[in-house]
Amino acid sequence: MLSKNDVRRLAELARLDLDEAEIDQRKKELERILGYVARLSKIDTKHTPETEVVSQEMNFREDQDLPCDEVERELILSNFPDRAGDALRVPAVFEKPKG
Amino acid sequence: MSLLKQTIESAGSSLERGEFSSKELTEAYLKQIRGLNGPLNAYLTVFEEDATQAAQRSDERRSRGESLGPLDGIPLAIKDNICVQGTRTTAGSKMLDNYVAVNDATVITKLKNVGAVILGKTNMDEFAMGSSTEHSAYGVTKNPHDLARVPGGSSGGSACAVAADLCVAALGSDTGGSIRQPASFCGLVGLKPTYGRVSRSGLIAMASSFDQIGPLAKTVKDAEILFNAIQGSDKLDQTTVEKRETRKEKRENLHGLRIGLPKQAWGDGMSDGVRTHVMEGVKILEALGAEIKEVDLPYADEALAVYYVLMPCEVSANLARFDGMRYGRREAGHSLQLTAYNLFDTYARSRGHGFGPEVRRRIMLGTYALSKGYYDAYYRQARKVRTLIRHAYEAVFREVDILVTPTAPSTAFKIGEKISDPLAMYLEDIFTVGVNVAGVPAISISCGLHEGLPVGMQIIGKIYDDASILNIANAFEKASR
Repeated sequence: MLSKNDVRRLAELARLDLDEAEIDQRKKELERILGYVARLSKIDTKHTPETEVVSQEMNFREDQDLPCDEVERELILSNFPDRAGDALRVPAVFEKPKG
Repeated sequence: MSLLKQTIESAGSSLERGEFSSKELTEAYLKQIRGLNGPLNAYLTVFEEDATQAAQRSDERRSRGESLGPLDGIPLAIKDNICVQGTRTTAGSKMLDNYVAVNDATVITKLKNVGAVILGKTNMDEFAMGSSTEHSAYGVTKNPHDLARVPGGSSGGSACAVAADLCVAALGSDTGGSIRQPASFCGLVGLKPTYGRVSRSGLIAMASSFDQIGPLAKTVKDAEILFNAIQGSDKLDQTTVEKRETRKEKRENLHGLRIGLPKQAWGDGMSDGVRTHVMEGVKILEALGAEIKEVDLPYADEALAVYYVLMPCEVSANLARFDGMRYGRREAGHSLQLTAYNLFDTYARSRGHGFGPEVRRRIMLGTYALSKGYYDAYYRQARKVRTLIRHAYEAVFREVDILVTPTAPSTAFKIGEKISDPLAMYLEDIFTVGVNVAGVPAISISCGLHEGLPVGMQIIGKIYDDASILNIANAFEKASR
């Protein structure tokens, strides 16, 4: 069972601004979905390793700078939500820590 | 002769014979889009000018005798989570309403290199999360077979565009069934290739250990042509591997083929119409010489639970990049104490208001399953059960060559029918997710109409044996015509 505070804390961790009505709604839905996936806890996995998703023949490359042409550069700049010339403008990073 | 209702094969041979030009063909499809996209909402963006120019270049190549092959001059549609350089790419989200793709996805580079004409970008559930396109921030796409019904999802726009003849064929992406289920609902062929066969570079990531790009087409041959064009290893996606299967000869009959019907899939979880038609499909395969047997696929019932733990965990990590800083929606947060913008509130408002409800729901679920105290019980346990499921698939494929199940539990459902019940929507994926959990290939092919709506049959193959399921689907298609 989740408390409303648990759900508020999750929203904060996930950086999601949710109103009270949505906190209630998400709490109900999360409980129902977690109730469904709880069936996994009944499976004996004592001797089972976690899945390795990547195959053995994984395709590695050298760690190197990849070139970025002028078209790409302009597109990257044009996607900035806020800019000062060619610089990306962001809110101040240093502030009083939350919670 | 009609310029519409083309397959890649039929259009290709008409172009070859000079019966029409790629420009005429492309203009016919653009006209169809102008007429029908309003009511159907299949496309989010249409590239009128670029498509016409690409078609013209194709015609010029062909007149010089320099055609680039079966896709040269063929008009295609692309799901809107696949990047096409210099064009709007939203992934169905308000978060990326104004985002312009910086690069071509590897699959787009490959399609451009063989001369394909890209008509536009298709609607989808936001960030590919959904089974109906109802979770798109840009409105639902309609099923061309019945406008009151969903086309399936998340690649619903691509499926609708192919079925309504708003393109010749299309690309979609499949994380838990998002190519196969819409193919089933719209009466098409949809292929989810083996994990690692197609590069995801330039695909907006949802759940990286499951995501795969694949074709939606009118025929198996078309799906195969598109798959062959986009597959192959890519330095930009480490999970891709070199093609290593050998091309098998086309089979007209299926003598000696062992087909397994997993008993876990053939229980009560499907409508009677679906059961009847898929069983008829199985009978056609049997008549072609295949041997049919019931098989045990242990842990198959757990695949959905595994998926709905691991996928949200990967979603919560992958979507952390949408923070409103470098691109995408930024909604400035002011705090009472500070005159400057507050960083935390800027993140929380940009994400809280930029993402739709289903995306917020999955991010929170994943955040929970990865959080301290719950990680072992959810994330780690789900990864272990995933191993058991993979082993079960390996074991069953020592006993049979392919598996056959329905693609979806029902035919296309009504718009609004499942939208308020997330778990009911998740159960749509019950037959398809196991394939993504195991990483194996699967194809959905239409096996008839139930009360006017298409039913899809799913053929599941061994890992890296995409060619076999294409061959078998091809034999089925010929026999069922």
